[in-house]
Amino acid sequence: MILKRAVLLFLVLVSVILNATVSTAFDVSAVRGPHIRDLYMVIYRDPDSQILALQKGELDVLGDVTRPSDIERLSSNQDVNLSISRGFHLFFMGFNLRKGPWNDKTLRQAASMAIPSIQIVRDIFSGYSEPVNTYLPPVSPYHETDVTTWEHDPRGARVLLEEEGWRWSPDGRLIPPGEESPLKGVKILSPTAQVAPTTAEISSRIANALKEIGIPVSVEPLDFSTMIRRLDLHDFDLFVMAWSLTRDPDSLFAFFHSSMDVTGGYNIQGLHDPLLDEVLEELRWAPDRQTAEGAARKAQQMLSEISPWIPVYSRYMVAAVRKGWDGVISTQATSADNIWTLLNMRSSDGSERPVFWCLSDEPRSLNPLSTGSAYDWQVLGLIYDGMIAVDPETLDDIPWLATKWEVETVSGEDGDHTRLTFHLRDRVKWHDGSPFTSKDVGKTLEFLRDNEIPRYFDNVRDILKVETPDDLTVIVTMKNVSFWHLHNIGGSPVFPAHLLEGVDEWETWQPAAEPHPSVKGLTSLVGTGPFVFREYRQGEYVHFVSNEDFWLIGGD
Amino acid sequence: MWSYWSRRALGAVAVLLLVIAANFFLFRVMPGDAVSTIVDPRFSPEAKERLRELFGLDLPLYRQFLIYVRRMLTFDLGISFLSQRPVWEELKSRIPNTVALLGSALFLSSALGIWLGVKAARRRGGLTEKLVLVSGSVSFSFPSFFVQLVLLLFFAYTFPVFPLRGSVSIPLPEGAFARALDYLWHLLLPVGSLVLLGFGSWAIYVRNLMVKTLGEDFILLARARGLPEGRILWNHAFRSALPPVLTIFLLALPGIVSGAVITETVFSLHGVGKYLLDSIMGHDYPAAGAAFYILGLLTIVSNLAADAAYALADPRIRVGRRAQR
Amino acid sequence: MKVPRWSFITFFLILAIAVIGPMSLSKGPQETVAKPFAPPVWSGGDAPPPFSGNLSPNSKEMNIEWDWDAPENLTLRGQLTFDHDVVARLVWTTPEGSKYTLSSFHGSGVWSIDLDARDMTFKTVLGIPPFASATSLLFPSRGLHALSLEGPSPSEGSMELVLPGGRWGLLGTDQRGRDVLSLFIVGIRVSLLVGISATFIASLLGLSIGLASGYLGGVADSLIMRIVDVLLSIPILPILMVLVGIWGKGLWQLVLILGLFSWMGTARTVRSLALSLRESCYVENLRSIGAGSWYILYRHLLPEAMPIVLAAVSLGVPGAILAEAGLSFLGLSDPRIISWGRMLHEAHGFGAFTAGAWWLIIPPGLGISIICLVFLDMGRSIEEMADPRLRGGGQG
Repeated sequence: MILKRAVLLFLVLVSVILNATVSTAFDVSAVRGPHIRDLYMVIYRDPDSQILALQKGELDVLGDVTRPSDIERLSSNQDVNLSISRGFHLFFMGFNLRKGPWNDKTLRQAASMAIPSIQIVRDIFSGYSEPVNTYLPPVSPYHETDVTTWEHDPRGARVLLEEEGWRWSPDGRLIPPGEESPLKGVKILSPTAQVAPTTAEISSRIANALKEIGIPVSVEPLDFSTMIRRLDLHDFDLFVMAWSLTRDPDSLFAFFHSSMDVTGGYNIQGLHDPLLDEVLEELRWAPDRQTAEGAARKAQQMLSEISPWIPVYSRYMVAAVRKGWDGVISTQATSADNIWTLLNMRSSDGSERPVFWCLSDEPRSLNPLSTGSAYDWQVLGLIYDGMIAVDPETLDDIPWLATKWEVETVSGEDGDHTRLTFHLRDRVKWHDGSPFTSKDVGKTLEFLRDNEIPRYFDNVRDILKVETPDDLTVIVTMKNVSFWHLHNIGGSPVFPAHLLEGVDEWETWQPAAEPHPSVKGLTSLVGTGPFVFREYRQGEYVHFVSNEDFWLIGGD
Repeated sequence: MWSYWSRRALGAVAVLLLVIAANFFLFRVMPGDAVSTIVDPRFSPEAKERLRELFGLDLPLYRQFLIYVRRMLTFDLGISFLSQRPVWEELKSRIPNTVALLGSALFLSSALGIWLGVKAARRRGGLTEKLVLVSGSVSFSFPSFFVQLVLLLFFAYTFPVFPLRGSVSIPLPEGAFARALDYLWHLLLPVGSLVLLGFGSWAIYVRNLMVKTLGEDFILLARARGLPEGRILWNHAFRSALPPVLTIFLLALPGIVSGAVITETVFSLHGVGKYLLDSIMGHDYPAAGAAFYILGLLTIVSNLAADAAYALADPRIRVGRRAQR
Repeated sequence: MKVPRWSFITFFLILAIAVIGPMSLSKGPQETVAKPFAPPVWSGGDAPPPFSGNLSPNSKEMNIEWDWDAPENLTLRGQLTFDHDVVARLVWTTPEGSKYTLSSFHGSGVWSIDLDARDMTFKTVLGIPPFASATSLLFPSRGLHALSLEGPSPSEGSMELVLPGGRWGLLGTDQRGRDVLSLFIVGIRVSLLVGISATFIASLLGLSIGLASGYLGGVADSLIMRIVDVLLSIPILPILMVLVGIWGKGLWQLVLILGLFSWMGTARTVRSLALSLRESCYVENLRSIGAGSWYILYRHLLPEAMPIVLAAVSLGVPGAILAEAGLSFLGLSDPRIISWGRMLHEAHGFGAFTAGAWWLIIPPGLGISIICLVFLDMGRSIEEMADPRLRGGGQG
């Protein structure tokens, strides 16, 4: 009990402190921008040159500072402000539940108690990560704290095992209850340093911790594709991995529902629990927020008991911004390198100097239909808008291209359907001056669905029909019921209908390289967003200018 | 002699076909493919199947092979999986940078190395020789990223003489001349580091070769004839040592295109090396396959050239018939 | 008797260290001994030494006379047992008299403490922002600091305060706090092993294939040279990844692969030599007096080819070591194996360059360089012994 209270207190206190680092209290409605004129996203691939460039003043915004030595170096730099936030990252160890001894719940729970998450965070991240023991990261709006947590307690782990009939051999290895021979040595599959340099070290610490309670584990570092192959073939005992999740908890379905235990699916550990399946189905197809919250809570509580994973830590996101810019926005859920900062920032000395933002790798293609690369979307996210945006503080929905929306469940002959009605904002223009109307939304959704475009497949495949009764209303009827359709549809970027019409082969569409059919000086990479695409010089930078007609500037 | 060369040409074509086939199977043997390494809970197994269809990965292997061979022979390099852009366009934007970087590095380091090597062999046991050997081995022995990061730290940060990244300044300067100068300025540090790292092996190799050559009888004869030292050194000794040096040079040429991954990463240069690496890691078959194909072609051509050069330069080698006496 | 060359002496020294060194290390190289990026003890400066002290039922106050800058970290660990309900506090006092409550306990039973100045929770308790240094707050100046246990005495238990030192050992520590000297010594083995074995394999292959191809000539020669062409046209990277995927990332796989893909250059040069010698007068003579091919190859061509091979070896060993370093950089080597290349890779990956941790960078870099010089010089002296023309101080 004291433990749980302590955990609660810790979480509250940390939130308070993280909030206290925000320069001003955040008020979405006060953001009116962008105020800057030129934005250059400059490609720096090497972390060392990124830090040097920031210190030299050649970069203004550097996101995702991960190395503790860099964080410490920048924290004492007088010209730089650091911000920290929680992230959606989750690092965990998984079991192969399909085979023994991992199908024994007690063993899994005892293993959870053996892992020294706190010490790992201290030694490897110098405290710049958060030890977690829940299945959704603490920043998630659906994060449930009233769950069984397996605190680090190796002695308690042994007691737990003893109570269930486990014994130890003379050389310290565990002997399962009712058996004669001790556990054979197993390997924990771990991706190599390419993926994250710290993973190898963390894996060996986990292996050592498990050895301490009698599970003979050693680390097998594998190249990522080889590891995925082994996981697909179910040829493994233990593995480590990290996910980057989103604010919606329906990913729990993808990770733990028995139907996801297929090749290419994400139920890697092979969990088949009918009771949990029911709860996850309820979560996946929840008709409204309340049902979703209840199901998410129950799912997390059950998962804590079942322990198919051992969650270890969640990385904090650290971003650095050079002083001399006012209006930088960071919250406990978003570090300073976000679109709100770009909308709100202006130079302290009143000059109109460009902002230099660091891009850690080449954008792959700038084709919004085909690309899934994070670097592409750092660029495209400034050009295109969705109907709904996300509040950087509370992670709630904010009106964006849609000012209001309704989610209803309607009954048809073939069952229930979710119906989403979006009321669009008036007087919004595309970068080429054409007016934004419901036709654009309709054409976008139908285009994505009819062409079965893989990146949007899961978002749009359940669309039954799209109606646009007038220029500012879109009604999307889905084939089934799910609260998450709102975010899947509302969060999807909207493309201009008049340019989509001219696209024959969406796979090889290169809007950034095609001049605009009618407006000089523009390309076909045209959206409604706050920044207008100017130029992409491969390997060097992407250049934007601010959208002077952006609807947010004028206010609602 | 023509029969020899026609056999060689045929042999080269055979090698080319072998290379094409090897490239295909090489990547297929590696576990995983471009789709299986997508781990994103928002990307369901069905979506992955759809992507696989689009990439043509669902076709039987022999059909994929036939399509591939046809493409390679017609120089249709295909569409990259990862960027969905024509591979040729991707390479086109990167090759000039890489060639400029590595081409100048090769020329400069070989020229410097050869000159130093010859100078060192001139006076055996002298200070020059010692200096050249020491500096040559030191140059050769430091890992590239080490030297480059130290140079970057010193000359781009501590004493900000050179830029920290890339090939161009942002925003671009006005005027073609200014831009050319800007490009050169950006290239100086990477090329400089590569020359520093590269001249050593040339210097040592040439020195060894020259020492051997200088010890031969015909040099003694030249000296007895009273020829000036410089002429002996360059026109006689070096000329004799030229064939192997030339061979190495020609064999190093294809390497210019394959790029230097490490240099490109440290200096954030837009080159072929990093692209190659990313394509392999990402199982981007069209991209990686095309890149290796071009590399293979260049290697075969340079091998032919090396052979020809060697035969031309060394009269002792006459192919296809025995030496006249 | 002549004094042996410096390179031979150095080589045997290195070999000796490689063999004996790891055995003389008291701890394994993988153990954490001090704080990360700790500079060596001898590199001057004013960093604090390590400190530890205990609190127990009998000694509830600890005085620390601190005459240096703030330590990098502070840990407080232990357990205290209270038989009845108490309110107990751990209080820190600075020389100026500021007091901070580090932790408190209400109730009875066991009070477990595990505090570390790096924890965000600790910074929260002290009321400082997440990027501030907790130890800077607790050690604002030099002087007398105190840690005291306020409240009733516990019945049993103890608590240890540890301030890790700012410096360590002869070569400092790396990003995980491991002793760099131990890593360096253990790394010699791997670097030498990889370098020598891979070059040995490559030279053996290059010599035999080159001789065979050059001497046999004709179809065999063409065939072999075509194979050489194919191998040269396939860059090493994908082969490596495939083989690594199939065989695993171990040391011997790496050696085999490096050896298998470095013999081509030697083979070409040896083959050219063999080709030209085959046509030369004295080989003709040998043949005319009835010498067999094996005899010619073994007694005549082989010795002629040796200088080439030796030159290849003396450049090849450091080349192989560097190749291993480069492959580590790309993440294609086994992270469990310590080699100098790996040390440099980790130094780069964990920011030693920008952190200025020169002790992590210079030893392995210099080590590779020294081995290179040693092999080069040894190669030269062997060459000179084999070919007296090459001896130093020759003609003008």
